[in-house]
Amino acid sequence: MAAEVSQLLLAVIQGIANGATNDDLTKALPDIEPATRVEALNILLQQGGIEILKKGEKLVYRARDPEKKSALPKDADNEEKVVYGIVEEGGNKGIWIRDIRMKSNLNMIQLNKILKNLETKKLIKAVKSVNASKKKVYMLYNLEPDLSITGGAWYQDQDFEVEFVDVLNQQCLRFLQMKRDGAEKKREGPLAFKQMSCCTVNEVHKFISDLGISKVNLAEADLETILKTVVYDGNAERVRLQDGSFVYRAVNSPLAPTGLVQMPCGICPVIKNCSNCGDVTAITCEYMRDWLD
Amino acid sequence: MSADYSHLCSAILEQCFGKVVQLVADCLFSATTRSLSQIASSTKLSRKEVALALAVLVKYRLVDFSASQQNPFLAEYALRREDVLCLLRYPRYVHLVQAKYGNVGASIAEELINSGSDTATGILVKCLTEGENKSESAESYRNSFLQMITDHYIIKKPELLSSDETDEVIPKFETNECDYYRHPNIDLQLLAKIRKGEATVSEAKDGHMVWTLNYDRFHQDFRDSIMIDAIERKLGENAAECFRFILKIMYNTTDPWQRKLSNQVTFVEIKQTIEKKSNNLDLMKYLDQYISLITDDSLGFLRRVGDMGGGLFVVDMEKSFESLAFACVESVITERFGSKAARIFRVIRCKKYIEQEDLQKEAMIPSKEAKSLAYNLFQEQFIHVKIIKKPGGGSNGPAKAFYLFQVREKDTVRMLLDVSYKSLYNTIERSNFEKNEHKGLIEKSQRLDSIVETMKERGESDEYIAEIVETFTPPECEILKKVKNRIKTLSKAELTLDDTIFLLQMYQHHCTTLPTGIRKFK
Repeated sequence: MAAEVSQLLLAVIQGIANGATNDDLTKALPDIEPATRVEALNILLQQGGIEILKKGEKLVYRARDPEKKSALPKDADNEEKVVYGIVEEGGNKGIWIRDIRMKSNLNMIQLNKILKNLETKKLIKAVKSVNASKKKVYMLYNLEPDLSITGGAWYQDQDFEVEFVDVLNQQCLRFLQMKRDGAEKKREGPLAFKQMSCCTVNEVHKFISDLGISKVNLAEADLETILKTVVYDGNAERVRLQDGSFVYRAVNSPLAPTGLVQMPCGICPVIKNCSNCGDVTAITCEYMRDWLD
Repeated sequence: MSADYSHLCSAILEQCFGKVVQLVADCLFSATTRSLSQIASSTKLSRKEVALALAVLVKYRLVDFSASQQNPFLAEYALRREDVLCLLRYPRYVHLVQAKYGNVGASIAEELINSGSDTATGILVKCLTEGENKSESAESYRNSFLQMITDHYIIKKPELLSSDETDEVIPKFETNECDYYRHPNIDLQLLAKIRKGEATVSEAKDGHMVWTLNYDRFHQDFRDSIMIDAIERKLGENAAECFRFILKIMYNTTDPWQRKLSNQVTFVEIKQTIEKKSNNLDLMKYLDQYISLITDDSLGFLRRVGDMGGGLFVVDMEKSFESLAFACVESVITERFGSKAARIFRVIRCKKYIEQEDLQKEAMIPSKEAKSLAYNLFQEQFIHVKIIKKPGGGSNGPAKAFYLFQVREKDTVRMLLDVSYKSLYNTIERSNFEKNEHKGLIEKSQRLDSIVETMKERGESDEYIAEIVETFTPPECEILKKVKNRIKTLSKAELTLDDTIFLLQMYQHHCTTLPTGIRKFK
């Protein structure tokens, strides 16, 4: 009896996209006893066919996506289902274990057990966030983590790949310099020289891809950030074209190494403490002695 | 004026004029003006000594004096603090004159430097009697002297006003701007007589006109060469030549020490000048391109402000020296903290205000490294932090605040300038120390040299001379060589350090409203 009613109820609930309230159900199926209805709804909930939501004071029943349901094996218990649902809601941004505990109202020990269980079943996975190395977030196993979690191409297992960035930085600079040297040979006037020494991001991207130094596929936006670091190193300039796009060109520094850094005082870490008296003086200075001998 | 600068001044003055002058100048440095008795009581020197020291300083144009406002019979003295540093630039001045006017000019400049200020006749007599190149005629000396006046490298000191009123005790000077570069009458016949000993310098008629080197003119040349070199390094020789002509044209209409912008220069003017004076075909052919190259460059030396006369340009001194000074700051950071720190510094300057988190993302440096570099830069005052507090918070915990990194440019430059002063002071101190430490040895070698010299003149045998030379033992020789090397390195460092100081001072002149050493001659 209840099983049949449950099928009827499911049909009604599926018909209303935003979820059906209790009133909707009594209106659609007036000849069913409230007790039977409750029993039928419980069956549906157990099967995972519907979910209960709270809208203000009222309860709302909503049909579940049959595809999503299939990801969870039949033998999963209620707690697992709840936790899985919460993780699912987190999407590819992931959800923090604390938030899961708050939402599920489960205690820590139980929750840990469930999460471990789901992990071994390869239903969910834990991903370390690059922003806070100790913060683990959970998401469904088949999801690709969001860029804000992984940090994009520059992170490998939450570690920033310094060497990779440095190599790319050097190669970009080398490319810009090559381009400039090439333009210098042609001798077609200063403006033509300037234009020829400029490179678009696209050109640099092609050069880097052809070099094959990167295992990951780099987007042009990624290379743009690298090119910006070359600019910040003072080795290149970012020029805005008339159509609003940017090109890059290698430039020389306008000054030779300044006089101050040609002697130890310019790079002295304790110059602040240096004076006529005390431990740091020009006469007893070790940096000075090494430099003079 | 910082404590570092006051130490430096004190050391320079001691080196040039000795202890007494140093004491007097130190006393003047710490006050706006002082009277003779005040100086005497605070330095505990006799009035005569103080008066002598002041006379020296006045002669070298380092001290000004005027009548006190309360008491017109009392003279008050003030130190021209900025000019003290110029004493160290003397080798550069002489070098510049040498390049422009040859040996004759150089010996005139040297005599002017040695005597501080003197009459034209006095200088020329000294040059002719003591100069190394005696083959040059008095006429060529006179012509060089007059030419240097025309080119403003030599300037007349204000003339003494002869007042008839007896109640004015303090001498007054007449400052007449159009008089600064008027040629004096130099009597060549009298010069010849003086050399023969038939007359004295005091008989010369130009006794009231006293001449001295015009520092500002030299500094103008140094400044130009910094800018032209920067263009050459960045945009090549032709652009540099083009810019040199632009500066030349600019000086026709602009006061060289105008702080922010020059007056306007038209394209036609530039073109005509270059066609007349240059034979660089490449430059003439692409002149418009070179000018637009300089205009578009990120250094920002030249700015286009209108279309009149084929294009109207101004030389943007403020932007120029901001770019150059920060190129200098960045190079110091690169050497001191590494290139990653320089990157961080540039990111902050470029973004104006930036948070820690964004900083590491923009600079592509791992967060730990970025943090430590940024904090180091902050600790050494290259960068600064702006705190923006969010209102609220109240009783429940501290109010939320945002910590934004920024570069307060003027503060950074001043900090670096002070470091440079301190470094310069250190080189002088160290060099004095080395000299004192090996005083005996240096004196011994000097004595020996003079003995050998006289022996050679007397024609003593070589063996005997060699015997004398051997009294200087090999280990002594080695130490002396070492010490000489050290002193040489230090004095070389002094000169290169001055490049940095000069550049940063130019920043202060052109990019701030601070009073600087550059001023019209008074």
